[in-house]
Amino acid sequence: MSLDLRFERVIAVPPERVFATFTDPEGQREFYGKDTPGWIVASECDLRVGGVWSIAFGPSRAELYRHRHEFQAIEPPRRILMTTKETRLDGSSFETTLEFTFESHAQGTLMTMSQTGFQTAELRDEHTIGVPHAFDRLEDVLERDP
Amino acid sequence: MSVTLDGAFFALSDPTRRGILERLSGGPATISDLARSYDLTLNGVKKHVGILERADLVVTEKVGRSRHCRLGSAGLGQAAEWIEAYRQAWDERLDRFERYVERTQR
Repeated sequence: MSLDLRFERVIAVPPERVFATFTDPEGQREFYGKDTPGWIVASECDLRVGGVWSIAFGPSRAELYRHRHEFQAIEPPRRILMTTKETRLDGSSFETTLEFTFESHAQGTLMTMSQTGFQTAELRDEHTIGVPHAFDRLEDVLERDP
Repeated sequence: MSVTLDGAFFALSDPTRRGILERLSGGPATISDLARSYDLTLNGVKKHVGILERADLVVTEKVGRSRHCRLGSAGLGQAAEWIEAYRQAWDERLDRFERYVERTQR
């Protein structure tokens, strides 16, 4: 099984512009935005390999989630690779790897996002693990078409 | 949400706890049975079982003088729900980004 997540979008705009928007402060805020009244997005980005894009977002100051992306590769206009630490309200956090690609497509751009490195992926590779049924249930959810 | 995926992941991150789950997938066992199986002290097993119990991966019940342990199902069910909600959050972000790009860059 795999706990990796993968998303695809076809966007009716060329890759150069999608990439530019994705790396633009306004586009980045929009990515974490919501129509909910009072929704907060604070985003700061140091766009360079080794640089950090940090975002705090949530419905109120008392309820903010944090994502901290560190850029591992920036290849305009095709690809961005980041290691990501997500921190939740209770202070717990976990790290994954996020890759975004922007490919030319007949209708504009095929944008993909893949998220890998969930801790269970490591567990999956351990042959000693003996709780297959438990993970089957997670797998069912993950492999269901969104 | 009382149980997060973190709780389940943390509980599953330890080989002894995974061993205990494996053992319990074959049927219920007492704390003493588990201590014998894993060559652990009773307190050591109680600690591991406590972590599994908080993640709802294990349910315990006192029967007479011993504590019986069996697999719980809530933890992994909630973990699955958490993942689904998590996936939806990214889906919504990508939808919103797509709309924004198409609105502003056409």
